[in-house]
Amino acid sequence: MFEGVYIEDYLPAFMFLAVLLLMFTGLPVAWVVGGVGIAFGFIGFALDVFSPVEFFSIVTRIYGETISNPVLVAITMFILMGVMLEKSGIAEDLLRTMQIVLRRVPGGLALAVTIVGTVMAASTGVIGASVVMLTILALPVMLKQRYDRALATGTIAASGTLGILIPPSIMLVLVANLLAVSVGDLFMAAVIPGLALSGLYLAYIAIRCALQPSLAPPLDSAEGPSDFGSLMLLLVKSFVPPTTLIMLVLGSIFAGWATPTEASGVGAFGAFVLAAAHGRLSVSLTREVLKDAMLTSAMVFFIFIGATALSYVFRSLGGDELVVDLIDSLGLGAWGILIMIMAIMFVLGFFLDWIQITLIIVPVFAPVIELLDFGTHIAQADIMVWFGILVSVNLQASFLTPPLGFALFILKGSAPPEVTIQDVYRGIVPFVLLQLLGVALVLALPEMALWLPRVVFN
Amino acid sequence: MHTLHRISHGLEKAITVIGKGAMWVAIPLMLVIVFDVVTRKFFAQSMGMISSKLQDLEWHLNGIIIMVLMSYGYLADTHVRIELIRDRLSTQARAWIEVAGILVLMVPFCLLMIYFGYDFAERSFLQQEQSAAMTGLGQRWMIKAIIPIGFALALLATFSLMLKCVLFLIDPAGDPAAARRYLGNTAAKRAAEPEG
Repeated sequence: MFEGVYIEDYLPAFMFLAVLLLMFTGLPVAWVVGGVGIAFGFIGFALDVFSPVEFFSIVTRIYGETISNPVLVAITMFILMGVMLEKSGIAEDLLRTMQIVLRRVPGGLALAVTIVGTVMAASTGVIGASVVMLTILALPVMLKQRYDRALATGTIAASGTLGILIPPSIMLVLVANLLAVSVGDLFMAAVIPGLALSGLYLAYIAIRCALQPSLAPPLDSAEGPSDFGSLMLLLVKSFVPPTTLIMLVLGSIFAGWATPTEASGVGAFGAFVLAAAHGRLSVSLTREVLKDAMLTSAMVFFIFIGATALSYVFRSLGGDELVVDLIDSLGLGAWGILIMIMAIMFVLGFFLDWIQITLIIVPVFAPVIELLDFGTHIAQADIMVWFGILVSVNLQASFLTPPLGFALFILKGSAPPEVTIQDVYRGIVPFVLLQLLGVALVLALPEMALWLPRVVFN
Repeated sequence: MHTLHRISHGLEKAITVIGKGAMWVAIPLMLVIVFDVVTRKFFAQSMGMISSKLQDLEWHLNGIIIMVLMSYGYLADTHVRIELIRDRLSTQARAWIEVAGILVLMVPFCLLMIYFGYDFAERSFLQQEQSAAMTGLGQRWMIKAIIPIGFALALLATFSLMLKCVLFLIDPAGDPAAARRYLGNTAAKRAAEPEG
């Protein structure tokens, strides 16, 4: 009946399905990803299409691609820097200052959240920390001010998520590594799209609040200093230090003076120095910061390791060819394929988070993308950087789309009880639309990503 | 029964102590990077002879942190889980799922990585493998051995947690604090979070 159809030809498809389903058991994602890889290795062995000796290759890859990869050290150090800035209260000071500075502007609190999200974004690249911080610090103030709950939560979720896009971000380190482009190039390419997205949020909040002032009543002017001098002093004290640190870290990478790993280590050290300058550095703070940061780093790396096992078995069982055949059989042109991949990522974002999407999808599609021809729209040599940025902007939405938007869970977890999950869902809709607009802009105008690296590096 | 509880707690304690030690490795890692950058950029370190050793040392230290903390992370429950459905299940169901997951997904993964990881490190030792760039750190088998070591610790962590789940399924009232901490839904876990 099914002549010529062999189950072993479709094992990679079943693998993918198994990962999606088992993810919902609530077992740690890294275990699911790695365990499914190993299990399908055994299934492949039973069907005579996989040799047990290949498991040795998984160890070789874990060592070669993850442990001995000097670039990935930057992930650990950027996380350390971000957690230190957050736990030492430097980020908190920054948010308070921005709230005071913007108190008379319509939607000032929401704008402050977006600005702090953008600045801190640059330091963490781990969205958990920024969303929790913004929720705990800004949400109660916004609610007290009778801000619209949907607007307040949407702003926090979207701004906290920017961290993963605006360099230095651990996601960009990973994507650059997978696409075999330079981390510096990708960091540079992400600057304009990241700021554009942040600008879109700011514009949306400002316009919406100007049109409907009831959404965001301004703060009492009595709060904070009233003379201009002390306002400026406040700004210099709490805005300048972290911003300078981040500029230095980015600047040294962009100037080609330091590798991302070097910049990350020095940046982490700088965060310790700032904490000490604020008189907040102590052994107990360090212990707390190290625990948070290193467990986060281990969590991220553990998913890398699990994904190494999964993707090795996936490829060995012919997953790559399956995907390529599938795409060929659709008969799409270059644009069709690219837009389809973007759509797949967006949809997967409803169920998976960025680490899994990046580690599973990017390696599968990268060879396909590399061969596409967009004519005069973009030079062949620039396609991978452009694709990397498209992926990164697109993944922003994976944090915000229910049912599995991590930013939403984290926000709901640390929000006051009167905020319902429905408020949060209503709140993110406009921001997800803005993110899609961002993807469309980068698709239509590749120069948004390519201009800055070209200008700076030439 | 009492002994099993003690074994589970003992394993947890040991992994926690090792994990809390390993997280401090981040400080020397940070300082090594700073030292390398400063000496190379400002003092034109001679021929980069030390630098390539230092840069090797950086990923060696990072490797130690991530491989060792994998196990502590599982017990501290910092690995990402998708708790959408899990939060709505009974504690019993959560315990069953965890045991099944450990046996089907985690144990085979750990055992294979220990077996082949040991082989991998042993080959390196027997060949007396040195750094690829002759000036780097030698004795590559040491850092390669972190793979089987990390997975062995992870295996012990899964064993400790599996014991807790099984003990809970046999006698739900046996160790309510541990059950809340490991098998509670998100809210219960947060409430039972241990200090430090």
